[in-house]
Amino acid sequence: MANEKVLLVDDEREFIQVLSERMESRGLDVDTAVSGIEAVQRAKGASYDAIVLDLAMPEMDGIETLKHLLEVNPDLQVILLTGYATVGKGIEATKLGAMDFLEKPAEIEKLMEKIQQAKTNKLVLVEKRSEERIKGILEAKGW
Amino acid sequence: MAFFGRVGADISHETRNTLSIIGEYAGLLNDLLAMAEKGKPPDYEKLKGISAKIAKQVRRGTESMERFSRFAHAADERAASCDLTALARNVAALAQRRVALAGCRLEVKLPDRMLPVAANPFILQQAVFSAIELMLEFQEAGAVVTIKVLAEASTAVITISGNAPVAGSELADQVSQLTAIMKELQGSVDAHRAEGVLSLALSVPIQ
Repeated sequence: MANEKVLLVDDEREFIQVLSERMESRGLDVDTAVSGIEAVQRAKGASYDAIVLDLAMPEMDGIETLKHLLEVNPDLQVILLTGYATVGKGIEATKLGAMDFLEKPAEIEKLMEKIQQAKTNKLVLVEKRSEERIKGILEAKGW
Repeated sequence: MAFFGRVGADISHETRNTLSIIGEYAGLLNDLLAMAEKGKPPDYEKLKGISAKIAKQVRRGTESMERFSRFAHAADERAASCDLTALARNVAALAQRRVALAGCRLEVKLPDRMLPVAANPFILQQAVFSAIELMLEFQEAGAVVTIKVLAEASTAVITISGNAPVAGSELADQVSQLTAIMKELQGSVDAHRAEGVLSLALSVPIQ
């Protein structure tokens, strides 16, 4: 697995520093954000294969951040990674459009699998959007 | 019981965060060992740094557990007295995560001496924690909430203050629950709004 672009979002600076170092050593291109507000700003300026998002953060929590991220791009693949996991919150997050939900501490291999899955999902969605665009053009031109 | 659950949830969150960081450092050490086995020379300074950071997180976790232990043991004490300074310090530390999640900052101003009061520690903890939670309901991100302890004649007063953007009637409803807790302690609550500052003063008799 190489070159997946990932955004790590957590208010625990030390956690995202170490995790990003480990992910980079596995070939990932990692950006970090320490708040939901910063994450939304970053998502506006870059295309990510996956966003790994903490649920309990100051000011804008994970659920709020997820809503804002999906407003920026509804195709974003968001994996919630949190120590505040409850079944209810997990269900709420997936209903809102999160791709998956993992509890801290998560094995890096498990997280890498989810990120790979996120990239595959994104590619499928990009392909689907392209097909829709081509179909639209064909219909509009009457070909 | 609900109060105990809220504090327990905060501590378990803090502990899980600490363990997650330690887990990532352990993973990083494994990654570095794997690289060393493949022939990359070990960076001893980096290894020393990781060891120091793990030790720092272990201290953080230990302090967190000690705070929770003090809090939990207060529940099985039938004591009718406690040190208000130590109790306020512990509750302030327990509330840190909740304050941070509200986007606020906690300022703690405590006397540098013991202040024995005639109050059951568990109920008093609940009163102070509830007052902090109540104050946070009225604060916007960036606000500073202050906890101050003072002795006034035969009474000790712990004051929680912050910004006051609320209507009086709403506040009265909220304070009534706090008043009920303080009555159990033969104490009282005084909610005061002046010049944009809201203060909740909890008074208990000095022992």
